[in-house]
Amino acid sequence: MDRHPSPELLFDFLESRVSRRRNREVVRHLLDGCPVCSALPASRALGFEYATAFAAAEQDLEERQGALARERAEAPEQLRELAVQPFYRQWIMVTDSPRFRTWGFCELLLDACREWGFQDPPRALQTARLGVEAADRLDRERYGEARVNDLRARAWATLANAERILTDFRAAEKSFARAERLLSEGTGEPLDKAFLLLIKASLFGHQQRFAEAFGLLDRVEGIARRCGDRHLCGKALITRGFLAGMAQEPELSLQHLREGLQSVDPECEPRLVVAACHNLILGLTESGHVREAADLLERSRPLYRSLGDRMNLIRLTWLEGKIALGCEDLGRAEALLLEARSLLAERGLGYDAALLGLDLARLYARQGRGAEMRRLAEEMLPIFRSRAIRREAVSALIVFQNAAALERVTLGIVQELSDSLLDSNNSAPGLRFRDPV
Amino acid sequence: MATLDHPELRESLNNLLKTSRPRLERVLRNFEVPPEDAEDILQDAQLTLLYKWDKVRSPESWLIGTVKKKCIMYWRKRRGSLCEAVDTAILDLIALPQAPEQERTELTCDLNRVLAKLSVRCRSLLKLRYGLGYGPTEVAEQMGYQTSSIRKVTNRCLAALTRQLLAVGFHVEQPIVEEPHDG
Repeated sequence: MDRHPSPELLFDFLESRVSRRRNREVVRHLLDGCPVCSALPASRALGFEYATAFAAAEQDLEERQGALARERAEAPEQLRELAVQPFYRQWIMVTDSPRFRTWGFCELLLDACREWGFQDPPRALQTARLGVEAADRLDRERYGEARVNDLRARAWATLANAERILTDFRAAEKSFARAERLLSEGTGEPLDKAFLLLIKASLFGHQQRFAEAFGLLDRVEGIARRCGDRHLCGKALITRGFLAGMAQEPELSLQHLREGLQSVDPECEPRLVVAACHNLILGLTESGHVREAADLLERSRPLYRSLGDRMNLIRLTWLEGKIALGCEDLGRAEALLLEARSLLAERGLGYDAALLGLDLARLYARQGRGAEMRRLAEEMLPIFRSRAIRREAVSALIVFQNAAALERVTLGIVQELSDSLLDSNNSAPGLRFRDPV
Repeated sequence: MATLDHPELRESLNNLLKTSRPRLERVLRNFEVPPEDAEDILQDAQLTLLYKWDKVRSPESWLIGTVKKKCIMYWRKRRGSLCEAVDTAILDLIALPQAPEQERTELTCDLNRVLAKLSVRCRSLLKLRYGLGYGPTEVAEQMGYQTSSIRKVTNRCLAALTRQLLAVGFHVEQPIVEEPHDG
């Protein structure tokens, strides 16, 4: 081709819309080193007008916005309707009825799993299974294939988290693998990846795979920095603080919790903030910084109250009892600990009540109240024995029982029992929050 | 995380689109994205923002970053087919049996002139491909690459060659480093 190809032909070539012969002709011309044709596409870009593109995109957005608002408005009623049904019926409703195949409903279902994860883990698991089914059935044409894959990945990650809370680690790993595959077919949105990495770090922590967990948290912090998301960075630090606590690194745990709390937005995730403050206060109390713990507790009290979660309020009473014990205000400590213990017992949380008994045992040991100690031991020991605990913890229990019978329990014996029980049953919640996400 | 009510969400989104429009337009112009394709990019980014509004903490930088990323992906895809078109055309031109000797000489000369502007590695690879008619496995053997990686290396060299022929869509590699988003 001696002459220049026409601009139309050149643009068609750029769009790969030319025949093989034409393709050959254009490339042959360009191999000649034609400066005019080489620069033509770039000069065309100078004349690009985007007004129509913006108008069309905005019009489409307006329509979708209205539809999504309707879905989100209907979703709470749909969730209520579902919640009153037995699980098998819920399953039929979600899998059979097109009414439940909306983005708004699916989103709300996954948020509900998060709530239930704190309060009723078996229910969270069932809800997460429904979430996976609902997300799988979303209309890909309507919502976009990649966006649906993101939501499906989130649903599988939520299921993995519910399985992890119930210590079914093998199932959780499988669900995470599924979530990761779906995410790779999604929009590539880094915040979705960060969500998945955060809860996977929590799984690794509960499996005592701390190095891998901290590696994932490094990645979350990297994403947070690149996206300028201070809250996410704080969330990763708080998770790091929780995991450092589980890894028996109390000082490191306190440091990360402090840093994390400075970065998160309390309005955005009040439950996370309460959990982090709570563990920080507990860590300070246990490391002897009781005054600082008491100050922080006073500042955090409104948050506990505003959240209104019954279990959190019981934890608050227990924590106040521990602080009073640390401040040598033994009368107040006893009253608070007994109150918290009776509330735990009312809720059928016998193991937690027995763990709290260890704090009462410390108090009785300090006051040399042998008779109360013996009675307490009789109540606590059968509960501990009913759990699968390590040999060291069994030995510590026998020592404690014998000392209680002779009314010779010392603070050292109580501490030894407390440490071996905590080592022995890492999944027991007790006073400490074990899960920020 | 609390979801915004419909009117609030609408207002926030509309304000955001209004304020970010000049920056978005600049991004599209810098990346030389044709308006008909820009519409798809904008629409996709805005819809994703709508569905994930509650999770995004700084919507404006998210939107700009996402549009940038989509422009990069757009050119990566387009460049792939453009490089393939150039490669096919050169292989066809070399293989034409009925071409007169003079035309063949001119073609070799022009091709060598363009190849001379490339790195030594790409020049050697493409000379084996076009000059000696080597297939990918033979090129890998000859140049000491793994067979599994030769496709990637060849694609990079084809991109370098295409860049010499046409100044379009290739300057966009640079902003990847500045991307606020995780790849």
